[in-house]
Amino acid sequence: MEIIAAYGTVFAILAIIFGLFMSWGIGANDLANAMGTSVGSGAVTIRQAICIAVIFEFSGAVLAGGHVTSTIRKGIIDPSGIVNNPEILVYGMLAALLATAFWLLIASWKGWPVSTTHSIIGALIGFAIVGIGLDAVKWGKVGSVVASWVVSPVIGGTVSFLLVMSIRRLMFNADDPLKNAKRYAPGYVFLVGFIISLVTIFKGLKHLRIDLSGFQSFSIAIFFGFLTAGISWIFIRKVKQDREADRDFHFASVEKVFAPMMLFTACAMAFAHGSNDVANGIGPLAAVISIISSGGEVMQESDLPIWILLLGGSGIVLGLVTLGYRVMMTVGKKITELTPSSGFCAQLAAATTVVIASRTGLPVSTTHILVGAVLGVGLARGIGALDLRVVTDIFISWLVTLPAGAIMAMLFFFALRGIFS
Amino acid sequence: MDIKSTTPLSGLFRSSPFKPVQEHMRTVFSCICFLPAIMDALYRQDKAQIDEFGHNIIQLETEADAIKQTFRLNMPNTLLLPVDRDDLLRLISDQDRMADTTEDIAKTLLFRNMEVPDSLKEILDELLEGTMEISAAAKDMIEQLDELVQVGFRGREQQKISAMITGVRRSEHNIDSILFRAKRTLFENEEKLNPISVMFWYQLIDLLGSISDQAENIADRLLLFISK
Repeated sequence: MEIIAAYGTVFAILAIIFGLFMSWGIGANDLANAMGTSVGSGAVTIRQAICIAVIFEFSGAVLAGGHVTSTIRKGIIDPSGIVNNPEILVYGMLAALLATAFWLLIASWKGWPVSTTHSIIGALIGFAIVGIGLDAVKWGKVGSVVASWVVSPVIGGTVSFLLVMSIRRLMFNADDPLKNAKRYAPGYVFLVGFIISLVTIFKGLKHLRIDLSGFQSFSIAIFFGFLTAGISWIFIRKVKQDREADRDFHFASVEKVFAPMMLFTACAMAFAHGSNDVANGIGPLAAVISIISSGGEVMQESDLPIWILLLGGSGIVLGLVTLGYRVMMTVGKKITELTPSSGFCAQLAAATTVVIASRTGLPVSTTHILVGAVLGVGLARGIGALDLRVVTDIFISWLVTLPAGAIMAMLFFFALRGIFS
Repeated sequence: MDIKSTTPLSGLFRSSPFKPVQEHMRTVFSCICFLPAIMDALYRQDKAQIDEFGHNIIQLETEADAIKQTFRLNMPNTLLLPVDRDDLLRLISDQDRMADTTEDIAKTLLFRNMEVPDSLKEILDELLEGTMEISAAAKDMIEQLDELVQVGFRGREQQKISAMITGVRRSEHNIDSILFRAKRTLFENEEKLNPISVMFWYQLIDLLGSISDQAENIADRLLLFISK
């Protein structure tokens, strides 16, 4: 208790710096992956992507990020064994932040496909084992989180497979593909607005002191669905048949309908990313602040202060405008193979899967779910070629990231404890 | 520090294998397009033009080979493709063989001073026309590949390509009967011609015929794509 009282401000400042550094890292790298699909298919310019990211990362983090943050704060570790030594939990959370940030730096330097989410979980487990004891890790919860890493890309893939099949049936195989595309496209955009707002607001806004009944939630979600569909209609109705382009590729005009639609999935992706990756990035920071402000209460009963989510959002935007836009361009260039229609399906599937995972408090990887969703398009025979080596790479990155995060967190934990205790 | 993208996404996407297949087919087709020209120069006994067109054909065949080479280098067996990888590799081989055959014809005309017997001209023209028609049909089918990917090799595009496949089959059958008549005509005039020339004409007629066989092979591969 004395240590918290003596060094409380120092810990808080350190946590804020580390937390900002980490969310900067997420913005510089991870976000670029999520948005690169829209940029790559030519539907969204870099400038638009940055604007979208600023708005929707924030709203995703603030509106839907609380559940994941709370999993990181108190879902993985049981701190009841160190009620009298709350500083241990503070060291641990700081160590987890540092370990994750460093691991991300190394990965960015080497170009390894790692995920923030996995590094954080690894770091938390690592610290808990040496700092509190093996029993302090809620292995059941860890198991379900790890299972969700496998299940979520599969769900994303299944959803995108079904979406691809449905747009083929309704649009590409119709007598007049362009006419049908224009007719059904707002319906798909409705789905984007409806599903994401429903998942977010259905009993999910308690932390903002907003408590809506089921019926109210539905009405608001339907309103948002119609709103997005209406806005999309303004863009879509302007699409004209381009006979010149159609001669080369028969569906060129139909693809033009999907370009404005990808604007909406780009927003959805940024929202989803904010709700999951931002949220788990700032989880340790939230834990530190909560312990300090309560004067050493490790059970963290207090609510999550909104300013922490805002801080996480700012870090991410900072990362994006300083470095991330460049990564986004590189990623965008590499994935030009994705047509707007398949990009739309993949992003819609990925965004909904991530938001649902966020709602259930599961920290998942947006990028890996997007990979799953793209593979779903590939299984529907909709993409020229996908390299399945990536799937092996992802599995390897899990196997490496968990222990690497854990070991680094242990080292940082001992270092911090040595400095302050 | 150099920030590299850590995304698995950029490793996931490979460039579409259908684009090089189409590019290869276009090159092969422009190679075949020199056949009527070189035959015409032969009719006129214009040695300079035979030489020029012959070398054009050889050059285009080399270009097609280069495309095929890079294509094969970019086909690791970890790829998830909408069609069978082996079928795709065989497809480009079939296309390439069309260019090889054209080159064989051109080389024969380059190294040997051939003369076209008047009795053969009419049926040769018919054979050339048929060969051009079936090659153009094969190229048109290959041009449909990107649309087929877009719709997952099903539906309307599938029906369209089946109709094209049937068309190629019919042309090939038609060319078979032209080949028979060409050989018959040659046989009937054997006495009047130089025996060695006759031998080469049989060979040239067979080479022209095998171009349409390969066009039919291409149609068969596409049939496998849409029936997967």
